Amino acid sequence: MNGLSLIRMEWQKLRRSKILGILVAAAIVLWVPSVLNAHLNFQMQAEGISPENNFFIQGFMGLAWFLFPASIVVSTVLLTQIERGNQGILKMLTLPLDIRKLCLAKFIVLLSLAGIQVLISAGVYFISGAIASQTQDYDLLLGPVPVLRMAGVIWLTAVPMAAFFWMLAVCVKTPVFSMGIGLASIVPSVLMINTKVWFLYPMCYPFYAVTMEYGRLAENMSGGQIALVPWIPVAVLFNGTCLIIACLCFGKAERR
Amino acid sequence: MNMIETHDLTKSYGHFQAVSNVNLHIPKGRVYGFVGPNGAGKSTTMKMLLGLTVPTKGSFSINGKTYPKDREEILRNTGSFIEAPAFYGNLTGEENLDLIRRILKLPKSSVAEALELVGLTPFQKRLAKKYSLGMKQRLGLAGALIGRPQLLILDEPTNGLDPAGIHEIRELIRSLPKQFDCTVLVSSHLLSEIQLMADHIGILNRGELLFEGPLEELKAYAASNGYPVDNLEDTFLALVHQAEERGWEK
Amino acid sequence: MGKMKMALEFIKIKRTGLLPAFLCGGLLASMIPVLNMAARSEVYVNLPQPPLDILLDGNWQTMAMLNLLLTVIGACMVYHIEFADNAMEKMRALPVGEGWMFLGKSLVLACMCIVVLLIEIAGLAVCAAVWFESRGIMWTELARNAGYMLLLLLPAVMLSLLVASLCRNMWIPFGIGVLGVFAATMMPSGNFALSLFPFALHFHVLGEQAVELGAAAGVEILALGAAGVATQKIRRWFQ
Repeated sequence: MNGLSLIRMEWQKLRRSKILGILVAAAIVLWVPSVLNAHLNFQMQAEGISPENNFFIQGFMGLAWFLFPASIVVSTVLLTQIERGNQGILKMLTLPLDIRKLCLAKFIVLLSLAGIQVLISAGVYFISGAIASQTQDYDLLLGPVPVLRMAGVIWLTAVPMAAFFWMLAVCVKTPVFSMGIGLASIVPSVLMINTKVWFLYPMCYPFYAVTMEYGRLAENMSGGQIALVPWIPVAVLFNGTCLIIACLCFGKAERR
Repeated sequence: MNMIETHDLTKSYGHFQAVSNVNLHIPKGRVYGFVGPNGAGKSTTMKMLLGLTVPTKGSFSINGKTYPKDREEILRNTGSFIEAPAFYGNLTGEENLDLIRRILKLPKSSVAEALELVGLTPFQKRLAKKYSLGMKQRLGLAGALIGRPQLLILDEPTNGLDPAGIHEIRELIRSLPKQFDCTVLVSSHLLSEIQLMADHIGILNRGELLFEGPLEELKAYAASNGYPVDNLEDTFLALVHQAEERGWEK
Repeated sequence: MGKMKMALEFIKIKRTGLLPAFLCGGLLASMIPVLNMAARSEVYVNLPQPPLDILLDGNWQTMAMLNLLLTVIGACMVYHIEFADNAMEKMRALPVGEGWMFLGKSLVLACMCIVVLLIEIAGLAVCAAVWFESRGIMWTELARNAGYMLLLLLPAVMLSLLVASLCRNMWIPFGIGVLGVFAATMMPSGNFALSLFPFALHFHVLGEQAVELGAAAGVEILALGAAGVATQKIRRWFQ
């Protein structure tokens, strides 16, 4: 079975899971406070950022710091529980499938869910931006290019983190721990982005990227280009290691 | 010609030997009944045959092929049903089978065929989690039968079915070798039931194979050992009882 | 009789990893002020406020967030064990009022939260003893704060349990809970009405409006508890 049809099959397993509902709700929860607090965007003289840029970046910061990583953890719970709920995994193991490919296909589905989430969040940005523009009588909306670029950056920088969460979900069989470690690992990213070794902590990559963007947009804040070395090699290595461990662990408990 | 052969197949969990030195010979094109009390090691043996668990010792071949080298090849030609039915509760019966169909690269019509075989066609659009126990069992069977595999490994397939259902599935299994030209390995804890579908039987108790051979041979074997032969269930109980006593003496 | 039914809930969490997870969560949260002080004590030691206020100001937001996430996971787990292997059906076929199960689970989670808060208070006490040695530890202050923290955490416990009891699939209450916690962190601090949201209460420390918030928490606990019990009773009409 080739990779594409495996991925399509994994998508089919998500039917009636209501995960899209949760992702849409997440995007709404993310932007509603921004609309309600839209007037605060005009009090950012100290930072030197324009109201429209501030509206845009604050929302995406909320997404990248906690909501997006946490949603990926939720998605991993979904992906593993769907297999374990009625022992579907057992059936899969008795079919002529490459189990490692299956594990990777699930990871791709996880990344697609994450992609859908950033896109929904970007979509809701335009709606909430339009509403806030009305209430504030000021055009708070940016064009689609910077918004989609930001969404793309958040998604791309989240890949190693998603690999880590996927490894947790596959290897840690007790759901309390896989959920707990996943969520707990998000919290320190606020501290990590302020250190020189931020690149050693993949859970902070998306947040770091958005913070850098904030620095670029705000005149009085430091920010700027992200050094690609040693970041990219570390990220690739981390990503690869997590995926290899996940593939090795996948289905192991059921094949005892 | 044997479809499955095992050589000193053994599985232990710590100090507990679930299966010990079992040598099975399952002839091609026959229904082979695997009998034993609960916990005798039937499921563990079947799981090893499916590569779901690795033997501690010994080896086996299926149609001349071995794990892990020919895993995909073996599984492609094997339909299986292990313990409780395994399925995706959020999908309908039809969708569950469609997943399996895609993995096995079968034509679309095979789903309808499998549903028809087990009598689930009227319920194909219902979510699998809303199925009754019997329907879940049928869905599991359909997942094994789909695509007419050369080998079927069925672990207690009639569990949870009503008498009419048991009869129906039994007749289906009985007819499979002729209908699909396949070999069936089916387990049960009731010899009286196996007797009605199998040509060959293997009796397992506490991980050890007590007897293997055609049904007629079992009767002859029992008579020569002084076990009751009028009722096969009594023969089975006497065999198991004897083995237990030998076990205690050891 | 009721007591026994609630004790049952403690037995059910055996081997679910819940207790070790809460202990680890508590330890992790208690490490936050310790690490923070170890890393940059110079920012804090010379502030004029009482030591506990300084420590809570600097660390409580993160600690409270961890507690809330722990609560959400705990609530998902205690109901997941009911749904995973259909134990729920069995329980409902036994002569036990369905509301008791909800109350029992609330009690279990509340006890776990007490353990977590005690560990965190210990962490704060250590910080006070090490870095604010000269000012002495105010044990009564610590105890009052711990009680207040628990009171403000319980509405979140009840709400997470209520949601978890309604969903068979664990990812749904987990997702909703995570959203709730996130929403609470996004709420502007000055708005009293919004800070009454069950997940937002726990971010407050003993201070201004303590009586109002405490009373609101009490009302929420009773209301959510009653709603939880009632929901368990009426759900059979929807299944």
